[in-house]
Amino acid sequence: MRPLLLQGHERPLTQIKYNRDGDLLMTVSKDKVANLWYSHNGEHIGCYIGHLGALWTIDCNKTSTLVITGAADNTARLWHAETGRMLHTWELPTAVKRVEFSNDDQYVLMVTEERMGHKSGIYVFAIDISRPEQSNEPVVILRASGAKPTVAAWSFLDRFIVSGHEDGSLSLYDWRNEEVVNTAKAHNGIITDLQMWKDGTYFITSSRDMTARLFETATLNALKEYKTDAPLNTATMTPTQDLVILGGGQAASEVTTTSSRQGKFESRFFHKIFEDEVGRSRGHFGPINTLAVQPDGKGFASGGEDGLVRVHHFDPDYFKFKYDY
Amino acid sequence: MSVASKTNWADDVEDHQEFPSIEVISNADGTKTVVEHRLNEDGKRVRVTRKIQEKLVQEHVNRAVAERKKWAKFGELRSDGTMKANGGVATTIGEVVELRLSQYAAQMKQQEIDAAEAEKANAVKSSKILCRVCRGEHFTAKCPYKDTMTSAEDILGGGASAAAPAGAEDAKGGPNAYVPPHMRAGAKAFGAAGGRAGSLGAGDARGDRRDEHPTIRITNLSEDTLEADVNQLCRPFGPLARVFVATDRGTGYCKGFAFVSYYDHDSAEKAIAKLNGHGFDNLILSADWANGGK
Repeated sequence: MRPLLLQGHERPLTQIKYNRDGDLLMTVSKDKVANLWYSHNGEHIGCYIGHLGALWTIDCNKTSTLVITGAADNTARLWHAETGRMLHTWELPTAVKRVEFSNDDQYVLMVTEERMGHKSGIYVFAIDISRPEQSNEPVVILRASGAKPTVAAWSFLDRFIVSGHEDGSLSLYDWRNEEVVNTAKAHNGIITDLQMWKDGTYFITSSRDMTARLFETATLNALKEYKTDAPLNTATMTPTQDLVILGGGQAASEVTTTSSRQGKFESRFFHKIFEDEVGRSRGHFGPINTLAVQPDGKGFASGGEDGLVRVHHFDPDYFKFKYDY
Repeated sequence: MSVASKTNWADDVEDHQEFPSIEVISNADGTKTVVEHRLNEDGKRVRVTRKIQEKLVQEHVNRAVAERKKWAKFGELRSDGTMKANGGVATTIGEVVELRLSQYAAQMKQQEIDAAEAEKANAVKSSKILCRVCRGEHFTAKCPYKDTMTSAEDILGGGASAAAPAGAEDAKGGPNAYVPPHMRAGAKAFGAAGGRAGSLGAGDARGDRRDEHPTIRITNLSEDTLEADVNQLCRPFGPLARVFVATDRGTGYCKGFAFVSYYDHDSAEKAIAKLNGHGFDNLILSADWANGGK
């Protein structure tokens, strides 16, 4: 594999995401700018400029016409994907840590931070694609009873919203009725990432407790567990092979005290079903903050604390890999 | 060319030497030869000839993706007024990284970790920790032979206890513990029992595992008894791990007792039940557990 190195950020990456067709790659970092790239050759298309604080999260709708970003300046912004024009700004009480379009692109969820006396919550806004101005009135606000949510995602058919919390628990919301349907204790540490399988029936979580787990959405039953030796920041699943990719490493604050070899800054590949580690890919000089797999399964991208995005296109060997059982 | 890096005005003259424009020759076999004149890193004029073959690769994408390929660049100007495209944004091709997927990756990693740990353990070994039971490189309290070996030491008596007792130690090969051949674990046991070490080569080889086999003691054997006789006598109850007939060193006659180890406990139990009180060579044998009914 010869990765493409995308240098467009000066600070640690916070999230990267492919669009639905997999031809675009969106990256956000703590340096106030969101970048858009072509995924096949790494060509820079443009940047979304306007935020005043570190960016935490990005998502685009299924047709790749609208982009939403969430930032530490207590706003979420809607952008015209093609031109980079800002369409709308939602003012929220605190920083926005995670945004995600619903599967039908009618709604967007935003997870806000708990800060300055404001409770954290999951805001759901309706999106009207016919005009740039959007309603500032949330459809619902979901408040967690326990620890603050850190990540959230839409379930199958947008029936539920799943959220991962700081104390390692998961909540399943029937968001239209604003009630918690189910909760489960998933991890012993903060849940750092939660990525849905494409049909929304199960999802993977990663945690600082050095494990990643697979959960069934409807019941929150734990299906699989992947154990590593480093705190994890992100986890994702590959569509063509039955693999999961985990990324992490020591906390950024401890990086300077260890060599990069000991830092465990590799993307680790685990077999999704047998829970065995099957390979690693090196490259980053710091912890991997975020991973995304191309929706057609032909590549993946990783964003690190070192400010680099590495876009990998798998070798033919990768597709020949078979697990003997 | 890097005009900006030229500091000497005299070099300017050379710069004005015009390079011939790039020459492209189409070859008959469909390749192209490109001849180019330029300055290399040392500032010397070089001619670069490259032969290239152009290959058109068609890729089918859906209409939306094709449309997006025509997107114009946007947002180049950052909020602080600098051009991002020149300063910050760059796409480079990284070094090749290997991703070899193998279902044994985890095991290989484990081996690596084990090797590292073994190295660490070796480093610790240089410190003088000596087990009083088996002379191993660990604390007496943590000795795996703690229970079995102390009893062995008692049986062997004072002289033998000075030597390293167990075969376990031989297997470990402590760094500075030379044990003379006649005092090594296998020979010692036979010597204590008064037997000939040579008569039991097979048992000797498994000496380090002896304690694990269930052993019975047969007494009241006649003087003429040979190892083969005992073998024949005990064989029907199960596979034998070891047979030892105590013989007088001077005469070579049997001293009247023998030890037989079985591989499994049930066979040994059966043998005791059958042989205890069994008539053999005009004598009534008695059989029991060798180590006091354990």
